[in-house]
Amino acid sequence: MKYRLGSLALVGVLLLAPLFVASYSSASASATSLHSLTFAYDWPGPDMEIIPVLVAKEKGYFAKAGLNVSIKFPPNTSTTIKMLTTGSADVGLVTTADLVSAVDASVPVTSIANYSMSNNWGLFTKPGTKLSLSQLKGKTVFSFGDNWTATMLPFVFKKAGVSASSVKVVTSTNDIPLLLNGRVNFSTNTTNYEIPGIEGADKGQQPGEVLTGAAIGVPNIPIWDYATSKSVESSSGKYLTAFLSALKQATAWAAANPDAAATLFDKAYPSSGYTNAYNLSGWKLTVPLLTNAKGQYFVETDAQWTELTSAMKAVKEITSQPSPSSLYTNKYQPAA
Amino acid sequence: MPSSPLLQISSVSKTFGGVVALDTTSLELAEGSFTSLVGPSGCGKSTLFNIISGLLPPDGGSVSLEGRDVTGTSGHVGYMLQKDLLVPWRTVMGNITLAASLTRRVTAEDRAQAQAQAERYGLGDFLHHYPRTLSGGMRQRVALMRTLATNQSLLLLDEPFGALDAQTRLDMQQWLLEIWADLGKTVVFVTHDVDEALFLSDRVLVMSPRPGRVVADLTVDVARPRTLATLTDPSFIELKRRVLGLLHRENA
Amino acid sequence: MTSSPQPPVSVVRENARRADAFAPAWPFAKLALWYVASVSLTLLVWQSCIWIFHPAPYIVPTPRATYDVVVSQWSQIWPLALGTFRETIYGYAAGAALGFLLAVAMYKIRVFRSLSYPLIIGSQAIPIIALAPILVLVIGFNIYPTIIVVTWIVFFPVTINTLDGFLNLDPDLLNLTRVLGATRGRRFWFVELPGVVTPLFSGLKIGAAYAVTGAIIGEQAASSGPSLYQFQVAANNQSRTDLVYGITIVMMIIGLLWFAVVTGLDRIFTPWKYRATARRWFRRDKTRNASLTTND
Repeated sequence: MKYRLGSLALVGVLLLAPLFVASYSSASASATSLHSLTFAYDWPGPDMEIIPVLVAKEKGYFAKAGLNVSIKFPPNTSTTIKMLTTGSADVGLVTTADLVSAVDASVPVTSIANYSMSNNWGLFTKPGTKLSLSQLKGKTVFSFGDNWTATMLPFVFKKAGVSASSVKVVTSTNDIPLLLNGRVNFSTNTTNYEIPGIEGADKGQQPGEVLTGAAIGVPNIPIWDYATSKSVESSSGKYLTAFLSALKQATAWAAANPDAAATLFDKAYPSSGYTNAYNLSGWKLTVPLLTNAKGQYFVETDAQWTELTSAMKAVKEITSQPSPSSLYTNKYQPAA
Repeated sequence: MPSSPLLQISSVSKTFGGVVALDTTSLELAEGSFTSLVGPSGCGKSTLFNIISGLLPPDGGSVSLEGRDVTGTSGHVGYMLQKDLLVPWRTVMGNITLAASLTRRVTAEDRAQAQAQAERYGLGDFLHHYPRTLSGGMRQRVALMRTLATNQSLLLLDEPFGALDAQTRLDMQQWLLEIWADLGKTVVFVTHDVDEALFLSDRVLVMSPRPGRVVADLTVDVARPRTLATLTDPSFIELKRRVLGLLHRENA
Repeated sequence: MTSSPQPPVSVVRENARRADAFAPAWPFAKLALWYVASVSLTLLVWQSCIWIFHPAPYIVPTPRATYDVVVSQWSQIWPLALGTFRETIYGYAAGAALGFLLAVAMYKIRVFRSLSYPLIIGSQAIPIIALAPILVLVIGFNIYPTIIVVTWIVFFPVTINTLDGFLNLDPDLLNLTRVLGATRGRRFWFVELPGVVTPLFSGLKIGAAYAVTGAIIGEQAASSGPSLYQFQVAANNQSRTDLVYGITIVMMIIGLLWFAVVTGLDRIFTPWKYRATARRWFRRDKTRNASLTTND
């Protein structure tokens, strides 16, 4: 459910570049002792949220941890979990809401680490347009039609004191052009994708309004997580710890060196379709999301999952309410 | 020949890209006559046909029908080809009245006439059949009914029976003579078949190519009604010998 | 030489009677039978794959599970399917009309044909997936972008097939109409137009098969409120694979239904291909009333 500038039409071209890079770099680094793992991204092409995995791979953190990680991109935004269960990938980046839905549908997957720690989803207006939440009634709101937005919007309506039927929710494949030319009053997206997107589309302008968190009544819980399948857990459990350990090192490096990280991305994916300015801006907005209040990466809690499953149950996204222990495990977390 | 001919062709000619398709030709056809054009390919008979029907404007000369100048105009003759050109989406009745529907609203009278003629000439049981279900001979009969239904006094028939088997062809020739006798139409008939030309006609025009022109104008002085026996009549055979001689010489 | 020729009246009449007696009902029943057989075979192959490969239900659900989930979700699917069907037929009607009118204009006006042909080919080289979001930007969130997408897809085979039909009309037949003194309008109505009904329907059938795809692409680009496509995306996001399969089948059924409607129209408008004699309703002659009362 991530929100990107650019269209799926580019995907075919984009796929070729990473595959070549992946095959050549792994060949050069390959030692027979390395254990192979496949990582599946959540989006059909690379963008800046892949930086931690990319850094771990390109700077040799995975190799040092005894892993040879290759990166795969799914054909669409709702296939990553299926890739995990069919064995075409071992670890993947998914949204927490999709993971809950999967477990609810008895799909054998588990979250092993949070990607981000807080909820940066929200409502945006176009540059120069001031609209408060109290003016939501009768407005047109953009949605990607994804699980997360479906779960969050009821909180927004409740906070604004409007009924769902009094707001026109429309869906499409890309929000920013629609927002900028006034086809929608509010778009819904995450800050780290929406803000660089508007900057890129409208000469560095900022959104008129960025409404997130308590201001719109949504719970502050992680949006993305790293997940694996039950069968990988049983067959390659020890490598998952090595994977997260190398990834944590890489995440910390990329957080400390955003410019170098963005440049690394450009080199690895020269034809991604994203500018360096977009990647840098997006990554800088992502960095603060990566750690919790205690400055920890990855660590998951019962509370975040309970809060999410209750919310999803309330909007009938799920039928049962899976227990937190069926959704995640911290046992592969690297040592602090 | 009557004083005022039904069709008068005066000095018409046609050239296509330097090739003379039809040399300067003049002809008069008497009302109620049956005239055949015979000749090899390229002798200009189709060009002459198309000039009479109005499909082709002549380079020079004029065509007048019943004293009216019809040069380069159409809609004044009945016209039938070797291909029956029945439209598959219309029934026998619909095909017979096609000519009427192309120029004006089809009246109950048109339909009554079509039905009466169809019934008279053996098509009464097939009025509502689509052409797909008919045999080749029946299709040609419908095509001829359609030509008659134009109510034109001049009928141009371009090898109408060329695609039929020998037996059906004989039947059709007989049938055509029957209709011709009944209705008193003036017929111009194109054929490759000398027997057919002589058997049907009062007059046979032999044409030759390069340039296309009429080389002989023969009167068929054979008594009507004609039967199978006519084909072996000495005067018939003599005429046939002459026509074949003309065609053979021209082809050599 | 005999006198008047005797056509084999009895044989033709018998064949005709048989053909007409069975024409309306039997081919339909036969067609339905083949549909049932083909669907059964597909279900069998599907179920066999499950028996042989044992895929997890969230990868490939059973036909039964798919059926059950469609039934249980029917109250939600039904209005969405109706919406998709509506987009399909509106777009289809517009596409069919546009396609036909373009073909007529291209046939009648040679300059227009030469000018528009490259554009018409070019229109289909545009990826419709890229076009749809642009339409939404320009037009906004309503049914029209979707209708335009469907129209865009449908008009093309209609135009190409119909134009080919016009250009392949028998030149001898057209000459005949000229010799008979036909007016332009009457020639078009009574000869040229019926002459292209068959290729026109070929184009209409191809368009019918693609129309639903266009509606779904339109729903992807712009859904004002819930839509069948968005419902499927949500099901996919929630790993409800059985529902994803079920909605896909519903989409397919919409396409099949529409194809069946167009095929039925083809039969109604081209009776000469299926019948030996005209229906009484089309018979215009003085025996019409008599025919109506006799039971032949």
